[in-house]
Amino acid sequence: MNATIARRKTRNRPWTYVVAIILFLFLAYNSVYIKKLDEVKAAGSAGTGKFDAATYAKTFWNTKLIPSAAGGAVDLSTLLSLLKTDKDKAFTTYSQALGIGNIRYFLVKGEGTVTAVSDNDVTLSLPSGETIRLATEYIFGNAARDASGLIKITEFDNTTDLNNVSAAINDIIRKDVIPPLKAAAKPGKKIAFVGAIELNRAHLHLDDIEVIPISAR
Amino acid sequence: MKKYCFWIIILLFLAGSCTNKTDSGQPKKVAVIVSTLNNPWFVVLAESAAAEAKSLGYEAKVFDSQNNPALEADHFENAIVSGFSAILLNPTDSDGSIVNVQKAKDAAVPVFCMDREVNSSKVATSQILSDNYSGCVAIGEEFVKDLNKKGNYVEILGMVGDNNTWNRSKGFHSVVDRYPGLKMVAQQSGDFDRNKAMDVLESILQAHPDINAVFCGNDAMAMGAYQALVAAGKAKDVGVYGFDGADDVMNSIRDKKIKATGLQSPQTMAKTAAQFADTYFKGKRDFAQRIPVAVELVTQKSIADYEPSAKP
Repeated sequence: MNATIARRKTRNRPWTYVVAIILFLFLAYNSVYIKKLDEVKAAGSAGTGKFDAATYAKTFWNTKLIPSAAGGAVDLSTLLSLLKTDKDKAFTTYSQALGIGNIRYFLVKGEGTVTAVSDNDVTLSLPSGETIRLATEYIFGNAARDASGLIKITEFDNTTDLNNVSAAINDIIRKDVIPPLKAAAKPGKKIAFVGAIELNRAHLHLDDIEVIPISAR
Repeated sequence: MKKYCFWIIILLFLAGSCTNKTDSGQPKKVAVIVSTLNNPWFVVLAESAAAEAKSLGYEAKVFDSQNNPALEADHFENAIVSGFSAILLNPTDSDGSIVNVQKAKDAAVPVFCMDREVNSSKVATSQILSDNYSGCVAIGEEFVKDLNKKGNYVEILGMVGDNNTWNRSKGFHSVVDRYPGLKMVAQQSGDFDRNKAMDVLESILQAHPDINAVFCGNDAMAMGAYQALVAAGKAKDVGVYGFDGADDVMNSIRDKKIKATGLQSPQTMAKTAAQFADTYFKGKRDFAQRIPVAVELVTQKSIADYEPSAKP
């Protein structure tokens, strides 16, 4: 009886080895993942990879920002006047930001006469006497995303998506707003605009206001 | 009468639950678990968090993880067992700390991350983080303007395994890479370390002596890069950009040695974390998972807005 069992074990041993090797290879294959460093970097710190920032930005632009921009924006001359007389009230009433800290954003509107055109901006003189710049080259940062207050931080659970939304909105501005603005901007012409500005609540400077244009005509 | 007594007792319980005290009448305890106290920046973060928690009426205790996730795990065990009601955390490791935060969550102890994130959106109650990306977008814009859109530059990265390293680098490149006239001739890690950054730039300068600027992932490395440029006799020709707002770099910007930095605010992050814990105890639950804290661009033009720190 014992001899029969021993023979059976001997006959089964090759199969045991084959199964063990297959099992080992299967485990080894599924235990090691090799990725390119570029792919790891591209994955970002916390991005989900599912969020489509360009689509989100386009929907936000068409259905929220543009329809409400003119109505929701504060007149820039009125804002500048209030900032000079009651800074805290101006920030409390009109500023927005998705994050916390001193950097705050305002959705503004106005009309002015073009006094200069450069590679980087269009300078406007407002009826109230102030001079401001409409940016045409450096369209970066979160001003256009945050100024309206229409995007809520609780919609996002990672900062990569938030950053990508800013970049996508800025791309829309570069593509849809800047070319006609540059084409129309000639010294002496009047331009009506809606845009976003960034101001530092703790270190306020009103002598060089730069507006990221959202619409201009 | 019995019915009235019942409702009076219920009301007393409800009134008692609205205070900052535990059942034993002691104030609630808040643990501040910080990655390291060897770096003054994190000391400010920890002390500001503890001070704010105390000012809100809680007991606060600071735990030093000494950059060791295992020690951080011990601190979490202790905090949970000792009855701390909330944890304000500066994690040692974005991935390695997840399990610790999960333990606290399982024990119904809310965790509020400060400055460094954990790579999960399901475990911490909220994460209050420096907006590294946007801060470096602002630095990138300044960089492009300073160089008038053309030139050769070097990037010295922080620790390659650190999320902040890549968020800063990505923010910077989201601007600079749009300008083909700007060419990155070398990109190497300086591990956030002043001496290593100096060594790295010294060797890069051997191969690329014709650079116009250096972007560094933190201020310690910016100081190291500046030293390397001084040694090579190029300090006046090459602009150096950092990130953090450390005192020595702020003073160097004032002295026109460094071009710009991004000023972070550990105090804002720490105070916000403590205030969030306070509102959590009072019933708030709908916290945003990640909240960016603005980073301010400081240049040679805007440095006048910032008070010089007392020199020793």
